[in-house]
Amino acid sequence: MANDKSSMQLISRGILSENPIFKLALSMCPAVGISTTVMNGFMLGVAVLFVQVFSSVTISLFKNKIHPRIRIPTYTLTIATWVTVIDLALAAYMPEAYAKMGIFVKLIVAFAIITMRLEMFACKESAPDSFWDGLGMGLGFLIGMMVIGLVRELLGSGAILGYDVLGFKPLLFFILPSAGFFVVGLMMAFFNWIELVYKQAKGMK
Amino acid sequence: MMMRRLLKYWTIAVLLSLVPVCLQAAELVSKQGFGKENEIRLSFAAAVGKDVAGYIANYTVFEESDPDIRLEIKEIVLSPDGRQVSLLFTEALNSANAHVVSIRDSDGKELTSLLVKKSYLGYILSILISALLVNNFVFTKYLGLCVFFGTSKRKTTAKGMGVVFTIVMVVSAVMSWFFYQFILIPYDLNFLQIVVFIGLVSLTVQAVDTILRKVNPILFNSFGVFLVLVIANCVIIAVPLMMANYNYNVIETFMLALGAGGGFLLALYLMSSVRERLDLANIPETFRGLPIAFIVAGQFAMAFLGFSGLQLF
Amino acid sequence: MKDILTIIIRLTISCMLAATVMGAAFLVTNKAKKHNEHVNEQRVRYALLGYSQEKPIPESMTLHEIYRYIVSDENSQSIGYLLPGKDGLIFVTIDMAGKIVENKPVQIDEAKVREKEERDKVVREIVGGGKDVSFADQTIVVTENGKRKAYLLDGKFTGFKTFIGVMLALDPQFSLLGLEILEHEEDPGLGAEIEQNYFRNQFKGKSFENLKALDVVKEPMPDAYFQALEGNVAESDAAAILKQYVDHDIYALTGATISSRAVSNGVKGIAKKFAYRLNILDTVLTDEKIAVAF
Repeated sequence: MANDKSSMQLISRGILSENPIFKLALSMCPAVGISTTVMNGFMLGVAVLFVQVFSSVTISLFKNKIHPRIRIPTYTLTIATWVTVIDLALAAYMPEAYAKMGIFVKLIVAFAIITMRLEMFACKESAPDSFWDGLGMGLGFLIGMMVIGLVRELLGSGAILGYDVLGFKPLLFFILPSAGFFVVGLMMAFFNWIELVYKQAKGMK
Repeated sequence: MMMRRLLKYWTIAVLLSLVPVCLQAAELVSKQGFGKENEIRLSFAAAVGKDVAGYIANYTVFEESDPDIRLEIKEIVLSPDGRQVSLLFTEALNSANAHVVSIRDSDGKELTSLLVKKSYLGYILSILISALLVNNFVFTKYLGLCVFFGTSKRKTTAKGMGVVFTIVMVVSAVMSWFFYQFILIPYDLNFLQIVVFIGLVSLTVQAVDTILRKVNPILFNSFGVFLVLVIANCVIIAVPLMMANYNYNVIETFMLALGAGGGFLLALYLMSSVRERLDLANIPETFRGLPIAFIVAGQFAMAFLGFSGLQLF
Repeated sequence: MKDILTIIIRLTISCMLAATVMGAAFLVTNKAKKHNEHVNEQRVRYALLGYSQEKPIPESMTLHEIYRYIVSDENSQSIGYLLPGKDGLIFVTIDMAGKIVENKPVQIDEAKVREKEERDKVVREIVGGGKDVSFADQTIVVTENGKRKAYLLDGKFTGFKTFIGVMLALDPQFSLLGLEILEHEEDPGLGAEIEQNYFRNQFKGKSFENLKALDVVKEPMPDAYFQALEGNVAESDAAAILKQYVDHDIYALTGATISSRAVSNGVKGIAKKFAYRLNILDTVLTDEKIAVAF
C-alpha cells in the first residue's frame, strides 16, 4: 500500500505543487515576520515540520476514535500539545535560536495549514501515509522559509548563515520586517511566471 | 440594536474602570506631576507656610524602586500664595519611574507622603495607541496575515471580519487574563499557556456563534461566517501570550485587546480599499491576486514604520 | 444523550493524554533549561572579565554573589544584603541613614541560594513577620586571591522600543571594564547596533568621573577610533588610539541617537547607584567589623 513511489509522491506534492507558502498562501505570518536569515527560517521550518508530522501521525492513529462532532477541538488540542512540546524543547536546548524566533514558535498553533492537513488527509488515511504527507508539507514550508531567508539575508546583510559572503550590505531594507512582504510577493509572482512559461511551453508543444 | 447596547455597556465599563484612577487625592497635596525634565510640581489644597514648603531639608524624594537613593534638590520655587511649589533637581529625572515625595514640617514630623508618576490613564491609552498604530499587529508585527489576505478583498467583508474579530479578541483576552492570574500562575502551570489560551478562544468563538444564532439571526447571517476564521488568526493567540509575558492587569489587557482588534480592523479596511481599486487596474498577469496584494501590504508596512517611537503620553 | 456522554468522555481522555505528554515534556526540559541558563550566565560573566573558552578563568579567581533586598514595614524601609561572610552566608540590614539595623547568619545551601523562590523564602524567614521583602538586584564581586578585582552588575532600563538589559563590569575604583547587552528589542540595523563592538567598546576604560558626566554626541566617529574599537588594529596601536578617546563622550549610532542615549544614561545610572550603595555597605561592614569573604 504505502510503497516508496507513493511516499515520494506525497512528499513532492508537499514541496512543489501544494507548497504551503507559495501555492496555498497559508501560514504566511512567519514567512514575512522572521525570515530575516536562513538560520531563522530553518529553525522555524524544523519546528513546523515536527508539529506537522507528529500531529498528522497522532490524528491518523486515533482517527477511528475521534467523534465527528468534536473533530476540530481534538485537532486543536493535538496541535497545541505538540507545539507546547517543541516550544519547551527549543527553549531548553537552543536558547539563542529560540530567543530570535520570539513568539512565533508558540503561534504555530494558529497555523491554518496544519489543521487543514489534518482535516483533509490525516483523519482519513493510514499512519504511514500521513507521516509522508506531513513530512512533505513540513519540508515544503521549511524550504520556502529557507529560500525567503536566503534572499533576505543575502541582499540585506550580505551574508549567508552568518558568513559574510558579499563583504558589504547591499540594501539594509531587506532585513527590516516590512521587506518580508515585498520578497514574498515578488517570489509568488516569480513562481506564477515560471508556471505560466511552463504552461505556454507545454501548450505550444 | 445589539451593537448599540454592547457599545453602551463597553463605555460604561471603561469609564467605571477609570474611576479609581481619578480618586487619587491626597489630603495636603491636591495635584502633583512632572514638569520640565528635572522638575516636580506640587499644588497644595490650602496655602502652606514658607517655613515648611520653602526649605529643601523638609523634602525627601526618591524613586519608588530605589528608596535608599535620595535625589538632590537644587532649588525650590514657591508661588507667592503658597499653594504651588516647584522642586528643581540637580539631575534630570527619570519620569518613567514613580517617585515618592515626602514632606516634613520644621520639627521633623512627617506631614504627607505621595507618589508622583505619569498619569495612569495616559499609560493605558498609550497601550491602546501602541497596539493600534505603533505596533499594529498586521503591519508591524506580521501576524494574522492569512486571514488578512483572505478577507481584505471587499470593504464589506473587511468590516465584518474586523468587528467580529475585535469582539472575540476582547472577550477571550479578558477570560485568558482570569485563567492566567487565578489558575496558571498559582499552580505553576505556565507551560499550559498555549493549550489554555487556544482553548478559551475556541470556547469564545463557539459561545459567540451560539448566542448570535439565537439572539440575532440577521446579524449572524452577515457576520457568522467570519467566526470560524478567527481561530486561524495568529493575533488571537498572540495577545494572551503578550499579556502573560508583560504581566498586564485586567485594564491593560482590555486595552491591548481593543487596540489589537482595532488595529486589525484598520488594516483590513485600508487594505480592502486599495484592493477594490486594484481589481480595476491593469496588473500584469503574474502579479494578479496575491503577489500584488503582498507588495501593497509591504508599502503599508513601510508607512506604518513611521509610527515607530510615537509617544503621546 | 449517549452521544454527548461519549463526546465528553473522549474529550476528557484526550485532555488528560495531552496534559501527560506536556507535563512529561516540561519536566524533562526544565532541568536542561535551568542548566543552560546557568551556563549562559557564566559565559557572559567571564566574557565581561576578559576570559573565554580559549582563555579560561584562573583558579585563584572567585565570584561572590551579593543579593540586595528591600525590606519594608509600615513605618520605614531598609536595604538588606544577603552576602557571603567568612563562614557562611549572612544577611545585613541597613537603614536609610546608612546605619546597621541587624546582622544575622543565614542557613541555606550553596546551590539553593541561586533559586529565586528558595532564597526569597529564607530571607522572609530571617526578616521576620509583618515585613514585606522584595528582591532588588544582584551584584557579583570578583576576587583574586582574596583581593577585589571587579564588580559585575546587571540592570534594565527603557530603550527606544521597550527595555534594554545590560551587564557591566566595574573595577574597584568604579571605572568601566566592559559592557554587554543582554537583551533588547531595538530595530535591526539601527538600534540593534548597540550590540556591536564599535559601540559597546567606547564605554570601556572610562573612569568613574567620566561616567558620571557621560553624554552622547551626534558626530561621526573618526575612522581610526572605529577600527581600534572593532579590533582591526594591532594591539599596541589600538591601546594608544583608545587612550586618546577615553575622555570623550560617546559617539551616537547613526539613526539611533535615542537608543545610544538610553544605553549611556542607563550605564551612568547603574554605575552611580552602585558606587553609592557599595560605599555605604563597606562603611557599615568596617564600622561593625563584619568579616566577609570579599
